Parts: sequence; C-alpha cells; structure tokens
Amino acid sequence: MILTGPHIQQQVESGSIVIEPFDPHLINPNSYDFRLGNTLMVYEDHILDSKKINPTKIITLTDEGYTLQPDTLYLGHTQEVIGSETYVPIIRGKSSTGRVGLFVHITADLIDIGSIGQVTLMLHAVQPLTVYPGMRIGQVTFWKTLGDIQLYQGKYQGSVGPMSSQVYKDFVAS
Amino acid sequence: MILTGSKIETEVAKGHIKIDPFDKQLVNPNSYNYRLGDQLLVMPGLIDAKQQPKTQEIRIPEEGYVLQPNTIYLGYTYESIGSDLYVPSLIGRSSLGRLGLFLQITADLGNLGTYHKWTLELKVVQPLRVYHKMRIGQVSFWKPDGIEMLEKGYTKLPDNYAKYSMSAPSQVKKFFE
Repeated sequence: MILTGPHIQQQVESGSIVIEPFDPHLINPNSYDFRLGNTLMVYEDHILDSKKINPTKIITLTDEGYTLQPDTLYLGHTQEVIGSETYVPIIRGKSSTGRVGLFVHITADLIDIGSIGQVTLMLHAVQPLTVYPGMRIGQVTFWKTLGDIQLYQGKYQGSVGPMSSQVYKDFVAS
Repeated sequence: MILTGSKIETEVAKGHIKIDPFDKQLVNPNSYNYRLGDQLLVMPGLIDAKQQPKTQEIRIPEEGYVLQPNTIYLGYTYESIGSDLYVPSLIGRSSLGRLGLFLQITADLGNLGTYHKWTLELKVVQPLRVYHKMRIGQVSFWKPDGIEMLEKGYTKLPDNYAKYSMSAPSQVKKFFE
C-alpha cells in the first residue's frame, strides 16, 4: 500500500519518515517532490567496468544551469535527506521532467528500508537538457511493508552528495 | 504491500516464493539480488514490431563483455524466480544504475504464477563491461489484493514467455495477429 500525501506529512511530523528539509508545498496527493542538489558527478573514462573503481570528477551547478548530454551519465543528488525505518521509499521522476526526456534513476527506484541520506540520482537525458540546482526534479513515494524489518547497513548509508558505484566491492567479496 | 527481506526468506523456505538457486547472502532489506546469466541476444538491423526480430547470440566470456550504448541486449537471470502468491517486480540495483545500466525498459512487473529465468532488457548510457554471474539487479515481491480470485496453479499468462529458460526475444508481433 502506498501512503497518501497527508499521511507522508503526518509520518514526517512523527519522525517515521525523514525528509530534511521538509516543505509542505512539495507534497503531492501520493508523493513528495524532491529537488536537485548542486553537485553532479561524471566518470572520467567513457568506457566503464563494473569490476573496477571508475574514477570520477565533480561538476558544481550554478544558477545558469547545466546542459546534460545524452551520451553521458550524470550522478546527481537530492537536496533533501530522505529515508525511513518504517516504510520503503521508491523514487521516480515527475511527469514534467519525463516529458522533457529526463531519467532520474536507471531502473533502481527502490530504496532499502533504513537507508537515510541524500539520494543519488542517475541522470540520463534522451535529448540535451539544461537543468538547474534546486529545481523539482523527481518525487518519492512511501510503501507499507509485510514482514520483519531489518534495516539497511550497506555501503551507501548516510550519503551526502552523489555517490559513485561501489559494485567493484562485490567482486572482491566473492 | 512490499515484502521485507526476512519475509522473502521465510516465504522461500515455505515454497511460496521460488528462487533457485537461493543464497541468503543475496537478500536485501526489501528485495533479493539476482545474477546475470551467460548469454545475451542482440537484434541487428531495423526492428519491426510486426515481424519476429532476427537475433544473434553472444556468450559472455570470462573476461566480461562490453555493452555498447544504442543497443538493446536481452539477458536473463541466472536464477529461476516466481511465485503464485506475490507479484514480482524486477528492477536494477543502485550500484549498476550508478554505472548507467538499465535492466528493464519500463517493464519491471512480473506476472503471478510464472516461474522461470527472467529476460532482462539491458541498455547502457556509456559503454560498460559486465560479467557472467555478477549481482546485477534486484527483485521485490508485492502482496496483491484478490489472490483468492485466481485459480490455483494459474499460469495462463503470459502466453509464450513462461517456457523460456534463456533470454526470450520479443513476441510483440503477436499483438498484431
């Protein structure tokens, strides 16, 4: 079951959902709009390898905005710290950003319960698109769970700004 | 409602969810990580939704395989996955999304009562090397409303994909028949 907007607000007030900073104007009927933070990350190499550490560099957004190119992956982040130890968050774009061809995640909309931090966004534009810091770029929904809860203790916990992939650690471990 | 990781584990133990092979290490707080099978299919040339697409098979070698942008690769899950009681949703992992890898093309929803290796629709933003049996995506399970309205052993849908144990090419042409 998905939480309604008023239920999200109530759970934020009671502390069961973390959205920080929280602005009641950004509540939708069944989601909350998050905004784009001012840091983007890109990989230095064009060809990536899931087994290796892929070096990255930072792009700082200004009020003039920044034009995303279709052939490049950009990691962004939500301005807000988002998470819950009670509900499962699922992020999505907004239809307004979808209508201009922007993906805000790459088939990884599901957030682990107990993961609390600025959410890393996986930005991919179908056509070149200029984006701006602070713009409403996506929305987060919250879902009820079934079963005992074991909280996330993974490698991206407490993210600040975009965090690049740590998947190479899987290969070291196995 | 979405099942937590521990609920997935108990439902696997009861046989209400089938994941084979199942490895406890791959359980997440609210999903299970699936791995990549060793075969990819590509569809060279123009794809016509009314025609059966031509396919070419690629085996992923030990040293991995570099996926190229602007190409759809059909892969498959190493595991057979399914449930008669819970609706599966197959998505990617944030660790691979952070490298620009799509695992599905807006078609994450599985059908109740189908149990097989799932076809993945791989697409990359930048070239990316992937490896056989790497943990590549995750599946979540959802409790539906109205399960009692389905016949036991319901397997009527989807018509032609359920029997496949490898990457199954699109049957979209059937929509025109």
